[in-house]
Amino acid sequence: MSIYSPAQDWFKAPSGGERAWIGLALLWCVVLTLAMPYWHFKGKQNSTGESYAVEPMKFMERVDRFVQTNKVGEEMGTAVVEPSPGGDAYLQAQMWRWSPILKLRKGQTYRLHISSLDLQHGFSLQPVNMNFQVLPGYDHVLTVTPTEAGEYHIICNEYCGIGHHTMTGKIIVDE
Amino acid sequence: MSPEKPVADVIRSEHAREEGDHHAPGTFVLVLVLLFTFAVYYFANWKALADVWQVR
Amino acid sequence: MTTGTIDIGLAPGDASRGAAAPQKPAGNHPAGALRTCDTTGLPVCLVAQQFIKLHAVVAVVFLLVGGIAAILLALTRWPAVHLLPAEWYYRILTLHGLNMLIFWILFFEVAILYFASTSLLNSRLASKGVAWAGFALMLVGALMVDVTILQGKADVLMTSYVPLRGDPLFYLGIILVAVGTLTGVFNFFATLWIAKRDRTYEGSMPLVTFGALAAGIIATVTLLHGAIVAIPTFLWSLDLMHQPDAAWYRLVWWGLGHQSQQVNVTAMVSVWYFLATITTGAKPLNQAVCRGAFVLYILFINLASAHHLLVDPGVNAGWKIWNTSYAMYLAVLASMIHGFTVPASVEVAMRKKGFTKGLFGWLAAAPWKNPGFSAFFLSLAIFGFIGGITGVTLGTEQINIIAHNTLRIPGHFHATVVGGTTLAFMGLTYYVVPLIFQREYRARAVARLQPYIFAAGIVLMSMGMSFAGSYGVPRRHWDIEFTGAQFSHGFDPGAHVMLGLLGLGGTLAFVGLLTFILLTVTAVFFGPSNKGRAMTAW
Repeated sequence: MSIYSPAQDWFKAPSGGERAWIGLALLWCVVLTLAMPYWHFKGKQNSTGESYAVEPMKFMERVDRFVQTNKVGEEMGTAVVEPSPGGDAYLQAQMWRWSPILKLRKGQTYRLHISSLDLQHGFSLQPVNMNFQVLPGYDHVLTVTPTEAGEYHIICNEYCGIGHHTMTGKIIVDE
Repeated sequence: MSPEKPVADVIRSEHAREEGDHHAPGTFVLVLVLLFTFAVYYFANWKALADVWQVR
Repeated sequence: MTTGTIDIGLAPGDASRGAAAPQKPAGNHPAGALRTCDTTGLPVCLVAQQFIKLHAVVAVVFLLVGGIAAILLALTRWPAVHLLPAEWYYRILTLHGLNMLIFWILFFEVAILYFASTSLLNSRLASKGVAWAGFALMLVGALMVDVTILQGKADVLMTSYVPLRGDPLFYLGIILVAVGTLTGVFNFFATLWIAKRDRTYEGSMPLVTFGALAAGIIATVTLLHGAIVAIPTFLWSLDLMHQPDAAWYRLVWWGLGHQSQQVNVTAMVSVWYFLATITTGAKPLNQAVCRGAFVLYILFINLASAHHLLVDPGVNAGWKIWNTSYAMYLAVLASMIHGFTVPASVEVAMRKKGFTKGLFGWLAAAPWKNPGFSAFFLSLAIFGFIGGITGVTLGTEQINIIAHNTLRIPGHFHATVVGGTTLAFMGLTYYVVPLIFQREYRARAVARLQPYIFAAGIVLMSMGMSFAGSYGVPRRHWDIEFTGAQFSHGFDPGAHVMLGLLGLGGTLAFVGLLTFILLTVTAVFFGPSNKGRAMTAW
């Protein structure tokens, strides 16, 4: 009885269907538990959280240097930058824009450094739909390999003030 | 309408019940449906994940 | 009733009780501070009753505030309507989160704790003064938060992630609510202690009280996290301290934010057991299993907060996988166990009554016209099939990459907290009003329908959110057309269909919510009294 004290001898092992279900549920939990380490070693998509402490001003300087060295054009006032394959790429988040525009190559791997100059932001690559958190003071490094050519947008999916919904950026992936 | 009884009745009838009868086959089918739905949704999500860019 | 020793001869264990309303060992109530419920035969401490009423009424007021905010938000996220301007969207979103997730649920939970520790243990409430203090702190804090938000001084959303900064009164209000709730939880623990000391019950405490105890323990740990994170943030908002680190803030805030949802889960499961008993006479199959599952919640659910940091910098893959697997899945196991034992107890009770036809004859014959039962069973189904499945999937380290901060997240938690907890609490209210307020519901045909309307709305809305999120639509976002943005992104047309579903479902759920509030307020203030007799059966 759920609303009265139970009989004194309530401590019993489960039996029948109840016992079978507990076993089945436990087994399922083991599957859930093993899936993550399995994917960590065998899967191609992992969130390792590789990151380094960085002062926002220092990060901005690194982004500026990266833009100066690798700039290949400009679009609507924002620099278009082509990092060397296998090298470092930088993306700066601030209220309310992502910069610069990155030009990547399909199948090449980049170390993409993302950080924020002000509030927390959400890196959301569309329409691929990949999402990572961006924090001020943390250089979040994603080792990414674009798998398809095309034009992609970055939107912000962490609330960052009244202009949050206008915060967009762009990544171009060439063959 | 006679007000009273039902609530007290259900509690009493329950009280008189003997221990030990745990026969619930309908519920077992329901939870199997749950587990099946769970597995389908879960693995469909791994599949969707496998289709996005590679990232470490 | 006098305080005294237990008459062992009465042996109040389950098996030995007769058909008469169960008689308990003497309680510890002072003279004149007790009545016996004419419907259930349960003892009701009059002081506790007063505070159950107070907390329940205030809870419903905050539910109304949060509900009005909810419909404004649903009609804004529905692109065809897009009701609010941006500034008010974020402001109302802040209001909605805090009123629904924190104020409505915490006030109601304190009421549940007071009930479970007094009536079910045949004890008086430990302290009237402490109850007043906790209530006053919570109320003042909640009003402070709401006023600050509506003045536009804290457009920081519920999470108020630093470096976003709100008015100091906003943080102070949250601290007061947390301290007030802790005071109420302390009063609950004190009541358990005096009941044990005065031997007002024999043997182990009832399962519902045990579940409430689990909720109380988790609440204490949760609210301590709240204090650890809110106090430095409050001091920072006054410029008395440096700004808390963004990653540290997220880690500790979610110790409050997600864990408080586990308090809701635990309280909701206790309510399931209570409603199953009171509507169908269900009896837990195996007390050891049910209690063991509650213990799993206490031990393992706290690290579910790691779910919010799965794509964060500052924490590594090992930390993420460890915290989402070893701990979480044992808590998931607990939910899967309750998901079996609760309906199974109903099935066994119904079969005992002769509804033995086929596999589901018992389910078809269940009291679906009783809003206490329908709300409970729909809550169970929505929580398990939508909330639980999506929650575990989203909480998988790698899968979180395609889900984090998209509408999939609110799609998940509206199924757990609204379709689950709130709906279960609504079902409970259909008994609280006749049994504690001693007032009958009017318009009973509407009341019978209400849980279905609300549940249908929440299901549609959660599905709309989840699938829109699968297209990448972000949560907490005013304009997915990106008007005025440097680069305009267009979502798949399918996403717009799903957002329309969100709007329709939200509207339907709001109708269900408003119906519930109108019915309940009418019953509490104008319903026919049932003092001196049993409640009219549903």
